[in-house]
Amino acid sequence: MNVLIGIFACLLLSAANPLAATPQQPPAAKNALTTMLKSMQTLNYQGTVVFLRDGKLEPMRYINAAAQGREQERLISLNAPLREIIRDTGNASNLLKTTRQRNTGNRPFEYSFLIDMPNNLDDLDANYTLSVLGEETIALQPAYIIGIQPKDQLRYARKIWLQKEHFLPLKATVYNHAGKTVEQLVFTELIVKDTLPFANTQPVKNDIMQSNAANSAEAAFIIKKLPSGFRELFFTRRPLHNSTQLVDHLLLGDGLALVSVYMEHATASPPSTNTSKTVQSLGAINFFSQTLGAFEFTVMGEVPSETVRLIAENIKLREKK
Amino acid sequence: MNEELNQHLSQLLDDELDYQVALNLLQKMHTSPELKSTFARYATISHALKTDQFLPVPPNISENIAQQIAQEATYLLPQHKPAGHHYKRAALAASVAVVAVLAARGVNLPPLPATAPEATSLQVAQKTPAKPEGQTIANTALQPEDPYPLNARISDYLEAHNNSVYTGEVDVDFRPLTKETSYNQR
Repeated sequence: MNVLIGIFACLLLSAANPLAATPQQPPAAKNALTTMLKSMQTLNYQGTVVFLRDGKLEPMRYINAAAQGREQERLISLNAPLREIIRDTGNASNLLKTTRQRNTGNRPFEYSFLIDMPNNLDDLDANYTLSVLGEETIALQPAYIIGIQPKDQLRYARKIWLQKEHFLPLKATVYNHAGKTVEQLVFTELIVKDTLPFANTQPVKNDIMQSNAANSAEAAFIIKKLPSGFRELFFTRRPLHNSTQLVDHLLLGDGLALVSVYMEHATASPPSTNTSKTVQSLGAINFFSQTLGAFEFTVMGEVPSETVRLIAENIKLREKK
Repeated sequence: MNEELNQHLSQLLDDELDYQVALNLLQKMHTSPELKSTFARYATISHALKTDQFLPVPPNISENIAQQIAQEATYLLPQHKPAGHHYKRAALAASVAVVAVLAARGVNLPPLPATAPEATSLQVAQKTPAKPEGQTIANTALQPEDPYPLNARISDYLEAHNNSVYTGEVDVDFRPLTKETSYNQR
């Protein structure tokens, strides 16, 4: 009888934890990513992470402190230009150590410097297929490989390597349609701690406030039709080029990829980078500029050139009431 | 005696003197300024005869060189041991083998080109445009000679788009890697 009760208790425990997988049976991809999001928000961990963007390597120190519902991420560059970036419950402070000038911006759409994902992963179902691709060792830690495959040609494929012990991301890669890596981050070492100190993010005298969210209905333009899965995340109007000229900035996202649309007076813009009506790219970022009436529009994001072009073609000046 | 010494000096310059005799002669030169001066004169004449050029040699050139050598710092780092005879033999054997193989194949080695072909092909490869990123893109081409640089506006946009990645200093660094893509609308 005692044996039966024991077996029953084990079954109950297994059912309660969807990630209680045997070594032969990896967890479901969505469950693994859900646990990743929870671990990223609740665990204290730090390490050295290397970003590969546009063929350039940038090693940074990464620290994530979490306690009593508060979470703070810090990225500290190891090479010049020295800077420290802090994201503290929705605010991203970009502290340039070389000048001691601190720029503070409110970016409520950002959840992590490492991997930004919606809390409800069901939002990805319409446009991405999640799967467990296998296992690999990253930074001397065994990891599951989670594949995120787009269902159309309007977004990039990704892979995330999740540490088996805590399901923290050890590596993440973005691939273009040709299967070439266009963006990557990888931890060279990652340690989970019981506690980690929070950095002081109290406003200081010389802080420059970069962006406050505004209502996108104030934007002087609309996008007639967004690509499947994309929605408006954030809108702000502020000077960008150290001048009084205001720039409208609309941020779009599909849960993984972000696309920015900028609008400013064409006369206020420096010479256009794009006279041949082509999409330009910087690593995973594609951007396209065009003039519409008296305004210059630029669309940029970590999406294929086709997506950037599609969004740009659907921009329309808002009719004055 | 002088006649004999002068003959020895001449033989020394022509590298025809016996080792032991040459050593004795150099020792004598060390103590006899007159002999040293004669040697310098003979060396000048010999050089002029052999090369049709006259290079005036200061009479105290050897002292100057000796002084400079004496003033050279002494390096106490461990020196590499000279390669053993077996290495020399192996190298010689390998060289002979290569020559034998080439001779057997009747290979005529081409003269060295003015520029190494490997370097040329490498440079060409570096300038080759990257592959287009996808099949939906019909026409892709790098345009490194874009007259308009990646300006501050794009840099500002990048920073606003993702301020954890870009810091407003991308206009210079990113320019060489910028590429342009055009495609056919579906």
